[in-house]
Amino acid sequence: MPQATYLEAIRQGLWEEMESDPTVFCIGEDIGIYGGAFKVTDGFVHHFGPQRVIDTPIAESAIVGAAFGAALTGMRPVAEFQFMDFIGCAFNQIVNMVAKSHYRWGAPAPLVLRGPCGGGVHGGPFHSQNPEMYFVHTPGMKVVAPSTPADAKGLIKSAVRDNNPVLFLEHKFLYRRIKDEVPEGDYTVPIGKARLHRPGRDLSIITYAAMVHTAQEAAELLAKEGIEVEILDLRTLLPLDREAIAQTVKKTNKVILLHEDTRTGGLAGELAAIINEEAFDDLDGPIVRITSLDTPVPFSPPLEHFFLPKVEDVVREARKLHAY
Amino acid sequence: MATKSKSAKSAKPTTRKTSANGRTSSGKSAPIKASVNGRPAPLAKAPAIYVNQFGIPDWRLEHPEFTVREVTSGPEVHYEISGKLNTPVPPLRESKYMNKDQHLALYRWMLMNRRMEVALENLYKQSKVVGGVYFGLGQEACSCASAFALGKDDWFAPMIRNQGAQLVRGFHARDIMMQYMAKAGSPTHGKDGTSHYGDIEKRQMVAPISMLGDLLPVMAGVSLGARMQGRELACLTWIGDGGQSTGVSYEGINFAAVRKLGLVLIIESNLWAYSTPTEYQVNVKDLANRAIGYGMPGVIIDGTDACQVYDATYEAVERAHRGEGPTLIEAKLMRMKGHAIHDAAAYVPKEMHEFWRTRDCIDRFQKYLIEKKWLTPAQDAELMAGVEKEIDAEREFAENSPMPEGHTAAEGVYCDGTCHAIKPKYAMPKKARRSEGKLKETEAAIHFK
Ligand SMILES: Cc1ncc(C[n+]2csc(CCOP(=O)(O)OP(=O)(O)O)c2C)c(N)n1
Ligand SMILES: [Mg+2]
Repeated sequence: MPQATYLEAIRQGLWEEMESDPTVFCIGEDIGIYGGAFKVTDGFVHHFGPQRVIDTPIAESAIVGAAFGAALTGMRPVAEFQFMDFIGCAFNQIVNMVAKSHYRWGAPAPLVLRGPCGGGVHGGPFHSQNPEMYFVHTPGMKVVAPSTPADAKGLIKSAVRDNNPVLFLEHKFLYRRIKDEVPEGDYTVPIGKARLHRPGRDLSIITYAAMVHTAQEAAELLAKEGIEVEILDLRTLLPLDREAIAQTVKKTNKVILLHEDTRTGGLAGELAAIINEEAFDDLDGPIVRITSLDTPVPFSPPLEHFFLPKVEDVVREARKLHAY
Repeated sequence: MATKSKSAKSAKPTTRKTSANGRTSSGKSAPIKASVNGRPAPLAKAPAIYVNQFGIPDWRLEHPEFTVREVTSGPEVHYEISGKLNTPVPPLRESKYMNKDQHLALYRWMLMNRRMEVALENLYKQSKVVGGVYFGLGQEACSCASAFALGKDDWFAPMIRNQGAQLVRGFHARDIMMQYMAKAGSPTHGKDGTSHYGDIEKRQMVAPISMLGDLLPVMAGVSLGARMQGRELACLTWIGDGGQSTGVSYEGINFAAVRKLGLVLIIESNLWAYSTPTEYQVNVKDLANRAIGYGMPGVIIDGTDACQVYDATYEAVERAHRGEGPTLIEAKLMRMKGHAIHDAAAYVPKEMHEFWRTRDCIDRFQKYLIEKKWLTPAQDAELMAGVEKEIDAEREFAENSPMPEGHTAAEGVYCDGTCHAIKPKYAMPKKARRSEGKLKETEAAIHFK
């Protein structure tokens, strides 16, 4: 199987969807001739033409609003946020116009909102954020956050084909750092299904996006000590795969919830509630949360390092939980 | 109190002919060809049009000069109006595009609009409405004549004052009544109220949301989507003198202008935004002047003159059909009731209300039609009786609709693929592909390593 970076995998998926469905088009800032700040649409404008790769003014509400309007005529727009941090500028369009439209008036909104999120690149408070929870809390949205190149390709294709608005979070730390096998051709991954990233016996780490790789590194270290960690990669944050969450807890009876997003109101709280509802009797230890601090994402490398969850945090908490 | 404002004296109207949407052109009106969907060429020659100091055509036949100010003397802080308030009521401007039958049909829609809102008020008083009721009293011409000027396939997105537009575009009074009564039979089945509903299948109406301004980029996007499918369509929406202050309004209008999208935007300058007078909303007298800043045509009209509303919208719609881009129409008028039914509008100076009461859009249109001998008083009475009968039947239907069953609240958050199939409404877009190339790996430098 050919290999591709996380970035190339997204590019492949998008390209193929535009190739096969003329109703798919891209809209965003600097995505045409320049190819996007992270080059996801590099070369697209030459192949598909400027009618389908549309550069916009710097106007996030206009981008989402126009994408929604076009969707009402039966198009499948893919809107890029140059950085996910700017999604706040379009919050009202997304939460009130787009996400509620099918419920309120039966108008489906088949659009994808995609772009780079996440820290670890010293982007500072406005180029590092993880905005997923604003939208996980928004009925009508779907929220997807892949961690591997194969999932990135499979999920962007499913997102484009979904009849609902999908927020597709691309972790910018992963763009060119990870390279792995990516199935060629029409490969899709269903939205709403988690993936068992690593099977294990002793405890489970439920996580997503870049933290899957942090969990993996920790699991390798822990394996040397005889602690077998299972890793569940959620892949989709809304709707959550409750079954897979319950299943891993029932198997290992101990669980760590790990995410890069800040702690209070982060997904871990919701996951803990689900585990309480689905697998309370199976727990042999406290539910452990490992998250970023409840602060903005700091800029300076030592500060950001302190802010983010690290491999050693996971190893430490896993040892404690294993010994419980 | 009524001190004459300076500008009233100094603004000397310079009259010259202009094509209605070409704000700087002078000389003869550009001939308007029959449009793609076979709409008629102009009937009458354009009468002379005043062009303001910024080159924006102003079709009004009067230029009211007054200012509302917050006054802090006396026992309470209140609003006072100063300026000329006893000027005579101007005539209507002869329509260039509407024939007699269209005038009569439009007149009936305006009556329907007003009667329906009277019925809504009564339903409210009988406690049959859930929540409040909004009115477009005094704005019926602005809602109905503009919607009436759309072509068959054009889109529209009404705001709360544009209930009449919904009737004109094929919805029934019962739809709106059932929305207000939160009935199972309402277009949203009780999921939303008021005129917050829409229809993308048959009547091309985009449902508004409460947040003002957000429809503007959406309507630009509808035009964009239709263009990709080979159609140049007009996408009409309205916004208030207050609502246009939102940032998203700027984003939407600017995007439409940049991409020459078919947005037809009517700013309903009705002098109030809830309790805030326009003077405390914007620091310009004419919002249409802002069209210059967007790089698009703007025009000022008398929003109580159905003929001006129709003609200005008609020309904007034609522009959109020709793919020439958006138009900004500022309609001057006044909101003749409070913000909603709960609001007695005690903050509105009495003489201001009186000025506009004498300019009631329906009274003036009625008088115009009778003077033209297109309508006799007897026919008028018959028309009104028919409208009342229809509204009554609509009300009865609406009242008899059941309330929704509670458990349906859980349904319909997502499109599961069984309720809707997504397909292009007009035509499969042509693959505007220019190269035979394959996807190449990108090696270019990126923002943040
Ligand atoms: C973004 C936003 N802020 C506040 C409101 C609350 N609100 C509803 S209508 C209104 C006044 C609107 O005035 P205007 O736009 O002039 O329209 P009009 O009621 O005069 O027709 C306000 C403040 C809102 N709907 N949207
Ligand atoms: Mg207003």
